[in-house]
Amino acid sequence: MKWVLFYPELYYFAAGMIFLFMSLAKQNNPRRDYLIALFLAVLGVVICLASIRQDGLLFFQAYRVDLFSQVFKVLLSLGLFLIISICANLNGVAERYHAEFYLLLFVCTLAMMLLVSCVHILSIYVALELSSYSLYILVALRRDEQIGLEAGLKYFLVGIFASAVMLFGVALLYSTMQATYLTEMIRVLPGLMDTPAVVIGLLLTLCGFFFKLAVFPFHFWAPDVYQGAANQVTAYIATASKVAAVAILTRMVAVSGDGSAYLVHVLVTLAIVSMTVGNLAAIVQKDFKRLLAYSTVAHAGYVLIGILSMNWAGYMSAIFYVTALLIMKFTVFMVIVKVADDGRNLDVSHLAGLYRRSPLLAMALMVSIFSLAGIPPTIGFTGKFLVFIAALEKGYFALVLIAMINVVISLYYYLMILKAAYLMEPEKVQPEIQLSIPSKILTGALVAVMVVVGIYPHHLIELTRAAAKLLI
Amino acid sequence: MEFTGFPFLTAILLTCVAGLFVILAIPAAHKAWIKWVSAAFSGITLLLSIYLFFAYDKGQGGLQFVEKYRWVASIGITYLNAADGFNLPMLLLTGIVFFTGVLTMWELDYRVKEFFALYFLLVSGVFGLFMSMDLFFIFVWYDVSLFPMYLLIAIWGSTRKEYGAMKLTLYLLAGSALILPAIVYLFVQAGLNTFDVTLLMRPGTFSPFEQKFAFIFLFIGFGILAAVWPFHTWSPVGHVAAPTPVSMVHAGVLMKIGAFGVLRVGIFLCPEGWQYWAPLMAVLAAIGIVYGAFVGLSQTDLKYCIGYSSVSHMGIVGLGLATVSVDGLNGALFQMFAHGIMTALFFSAIGYIYDRTHTKMIDELGGLSRIMPVASTYFIVAALAGIGVPGLASFWGELMVFIAAFKTYPLWGTLAVCALVISALFMLRVVQRTFYGPKNEKYEHIPDVSFGLGLPRMILLSVLVIFGLFPWLMFDMIETASIPFMNGLPR
Repeated sequence: MKWVLFYPELYYFAAGMIFLFMSLAKQNNPRRDYLIALFLAVLGVVICLASIRQDGLLFFQAYRVDLFSQVFKVLLSLGLFLIISICANLNGVAERYHAEFYLLLFVCTLAMMLLVSCVHILSIYVALELSSYSLYILVALRRDEQIGLEAGLKYFLVGIFASAVMLFGVALLYSTMQATYLTEMIRVLPGLMDTPAVVIGLLLTLCGFFFKLAVFPFHFWAPDVYQGAANQVTAYIATASKVAAVAILTRMVAVSGDGSAYLVHVLVTLAIVSMTVGNLAAIVQKDFKRLLAYSTVAHAGYVLIGILSMNWAGYMSAIFYVTALLIMKFTVFMVIVKVADDGRNLDVSHLAGLYRRSPLLAMALMVSIFSLAGIPPTIGFTGKFLVFIAALEKGYFALVLIAMINVVISLYYYLMILKAAYLMEPEKVQPEIQLSIPSKILTGALVAVMVVVGIYPHHLIELTRAAAKLLI
Repeated sequence: MEFTGFPFLTAILLTCVAGLFVILAIPAAHKAWIKWVSAAFSGITLLLSIYLFFAYDKGQGGLQFVEKYRWVASIGITYLNAADGFNLPMLLLTGIVFFTGVLTMWELDYRVKEFFALYFLLVSGVFGLFMSMDLFFIFVWYDVSLFPMYLLIAIWGSTRKEYGAMKLTLYLLAGSALILPAIVYLFVQAGLNTFDVTLLMRPGTFSPFEQKFAFIFLFIGFGILAAVWPFHTWSPVGHVAAPTPVSMVHAGVLMKIGAFGVLRVGIFLCPEGWQYWAPLMAVLAAIGIVYGAFVGLSQTDLKYCIGYSSVSHMGIVGLGLATVSVDGLNGALFQMFAHGIMTALFFSAIGYIYDRTHTKMIDELGGLSRIMPVASTYFIVAALAGIGVPGLASFWGELMVFIAAFKTYPLWGTLAVCALVISALFMLRVVQRTFYGPKNEKYEHIPDVSFGLGLPRMILLSVLVIFGLFPWLMFDMIETASIPFMNGLPR
């Protein structure tokens, strides 16, 4: 057993333990908690980067460390770092819970890291539940307890329903294949793809991941949870949690080889409905986070197009897309956190006058909004472009056309956000938003990454290609 | 990597981008600085595009000033810029309109920095699109040239600006929703793992069915931007709402992007699709010509008039492309250039009148030629060009298109020529009511256009005259591309 393979997970476990002990302290010191968390998160990114070339199997072959999983671990650690970087004024969560808040964030990240490496169906389930339970509590930690508890409960109920369905699917799969290792399934499954029990079992298993990704019809929790949770928690759900969901979804779908017509049809339907429902529902939203929840549903649809292409280009595009999603969604949430510095919920109209209050944030919002809408030259466009290449290689022209029409629909509400930030004047004059030097650097870096990787995606494409290759 | 000599094309692009960054770096309070910097950088792009226009070796023809750089090898994206007889006139047009647009906006006082930053971003996209020969980059530049429009119109525009901006943006991006699938479809079907137009356009790359299938998407997608009837409705609304220089770039250059896209992507890659759909293109173009002229007749707002005349004139471009002939291509390209300069002059002239009188309603104006004779001259010359008076550039474009159209589509050609009479009627009516007749006492005190502000209009006017008197300057250039291209077509 080579422990070096397991260092990132051990590290995040230890970091979680540190916060467990800190939460026992009687005195609250949010500033100290924040700085420690930030330091640990940075160190975590470094450790994950250092272990990106690791390769091997652990725990009776149930745990695989390869480039695919390590890339996702880097993304997850990056996501955690970004989220913690906007926790300097964590006003959405009561001060006495700050240590627990960080504890849960680290544990949840740990669980997702386990999730992307697991190749045994039961360990996948356990990792998935661990991450979900951390999130349930994180959502409920909102300072305004009533909203937080309601959101947390809703999340919890939909979540356990999805995992019950998933367990049933796993049982069906096992009953037909007598296999629990994904490595075994990948040998047996492609031959059985015409068996109804296998197709249904696989689909029901995927439901657990659809819930995480907020694919229709498992998206009902998203608007309420996004709105009810503290801004930073929502940001975490919208970014890191989606990364893990795409990773495991990709791995599971890849197991089925070329897939079967039934499976593809179902996935195509889900993708189309997710995109359309998400975009249409987002148009009428006033609350910014609620709007982003529906836009997440739409993005889940786009990612699904890449995954359901079931070719190597498709898996690559899904990984690329979710990386893009991590960066652009985070940028939007960063703007939300900075504008709503007291941790309140933000309406789209509250962005009025942003261009005057902080030109830098307004620009970051503009770039990330265009990136979300999939307009070049941004990383979001390149992601969509790769997804469409993958889909057209399989000849899904109509699907791509529908996706593009959805892009146009989504543009309407994205432009409304932009209009609020650049055109509308606030009813009463609001002070300028002061950004610290590190936040300015971070904002600038995010904008630069979105544009530069959008125009010159060579390196990211090479990395995702190498990672996707391992799936097939 | 493959460069022949100094990368002039990239230099144009980088000048725009550098200008953008310099503007962003200047504090917003230094408005005069920002304007001078904008003028300087746009002036450099104009000089570079003039240089390219005359440095191109017409005897040799083909692609020149080629810049090739492997961008993303794994999915076949190449950074490939080249100049040929088709895009050099467009680059020149962009340079002229860009520079004169900056000068026209000299009096701007509201959010100056953001305006010029977005304006530079928009023009970088336009330049990029005209010079690129790689499908990926063509699409990227296409969108880069569109999305700043929303803010430009919505912040600095007039008359229902938010509605106009939203309508325009959604329409044009709906166009890109058709283009992107078609481009990726062609990429996948070719199986060459490249977006390089020069490789994809080799005969036999695509089957006839694939060409017909992709062409219709490309035609409608790019055609929306070229205001092809019935997808033109965004155009008058957008023109009216946009601030002066944006109208100039928009009518002068952006609509040409649409027609150019049909040519560079649609016609280059799917020549058989082009021939198959040409009758449809001709019908839509002819309807556009007639419809634009008739609707223009009943407008009361100066900018709406010009907006509809643009629909009509872009119809002529479409008709030229639909003839599938050398003359048609020549005429269409020439008309694109001439119409670009002409509408830029139109909107520039209206801009001055509107800034001073705060109205663009024809009824409220009147007798302006006695109040501001010079400013009126600019508009009247543009109107004469719009009618197609010989001696001004657009005469040649229209003439060539109609010659070609009579040969291929006698019926539609005749109809279009009849529409010209109507368009003459409506132009003269606008001129008569606005600039002659009883003058409105309210505007008596308004000074005529000063030399500084008149300069951009003067440049545009001289370009119209120069190419009106020496059309071979342009035709020789276009023919270096159109004749070899038509000869290479499978018959």
